[in-house]
Amino acid sequence: MSTLNAQHHDQFLCLFAEHEAALRTFVRSIVPSLADASEILQDTSVVLWQKFDEFDARRDFRKWAFGVARYEALRYLRDRVRDRHVFDDALVDRLADDAMAADQRHEAQREALEQCLKKLPAARREMVLAAYTKGTRMDELAAGRGQTAMSLYKMLHRIRQTLLECVRRRVAREGFL
Amino acid sequence: MCAAQGRAGGFPMKEHWHEQIQRCVSGDSTQEEAAALQQALKDDAELRALYLDYVNLDVALGVAAEAAAITETGIGKIAMHPPPSAWPILHHWRWLAAAAACAALIVILPRHRVSSGARQDFDATISSTQNAIARLSFEPASSLPEWMSPTASMLQSPETRK
Repeated sequence: MSTLNAQHHDQFLCLFAEHEAALRTFVRSIVPSLADASEILQDTSVVLWQKFDEFDARRDFRKWAFGVARYEALRYLRDRVRDRHVFDDALVDRLADDAMAADQRHEAQREALEQCLKKLPAARREMVLAAYTKGTRMDELAAGRGQTAMSLYKMLHRIRQTLLECVRRRVAREGFL
Repeated sequence: MCAAQGRAGGFPMKEHWHEQIQRCVSGDSTQEEAAALQQALKDDAELRALYLDYVNLDVALGVAAEAAAITETGIGKIAMHPPPSAWPILHHWRWLAAAAACAALIVILPRHRVSSGARQDFDATISSTQNAIARLSFEPASSLPEWMSPTASMLQSPETRK
């Protein structure tokens, strides 16, 4: 790879890494399915790299990436998931607009989560993190804790609600809402 | 439809939507539930904000769980930032090695008379070694293993990937 190409490549990687979490959230916002969202994110990252030559460095990378992701999501949904239930184009568009507008607030919420997790009792914190660990099966996690899957789901529901209220409260104090 | 059931069922709407959104985000919604949520999301901006915040929380919890799993499996002890409380344990041998090296130098130095140029070189070497030891002790490696990073495949340019 030439020095110029390498610099170009490094520049892209830095920008992508910086905005990856926001991009992931944006895609999940308009496509709730984790599997579909992962594929769309992959497609988006490839397109972003392929089109990076056309990107004007004076522009906002995140906005540009969101625009590409939005297009890729709509294309993906039209091409591949006609037979499955997904949000329609009108709602996807509205959610995409809202997600872009909420971007800063969401970033602040992601940062606030660490503190909110610390506030949880240790057993609950461990449980919710275990539930979100890749490869975890809920029935096995529940059995390991001597619970039914249903009671585990209910507990997770309450913990997520508690965490959401906590991050919203913290961010509201910082003036994002 | 879920929305109609919520209104007629007597339980608080807000609580109902917390549950429906979480089911949707987890991929557990039935078609009817998803359709009801879709209609409600179209009509209600506040509900859309709640939905988007839940999605954001879901993504952030996934990242937090991944980081916690890495730390637990030991990869994190090398690749991730260990908690400060773990540093003395993780790098204990390095401090012992550094102390031994310093002690050896203290013993050796008075026995040798060195020129001022050589002395400067020697000082520079000591300083660089101390810096290296400090880096070894406190700088965690910054990169995740390649298999964990969705961007790892992009480390090669499109031309070289073909």
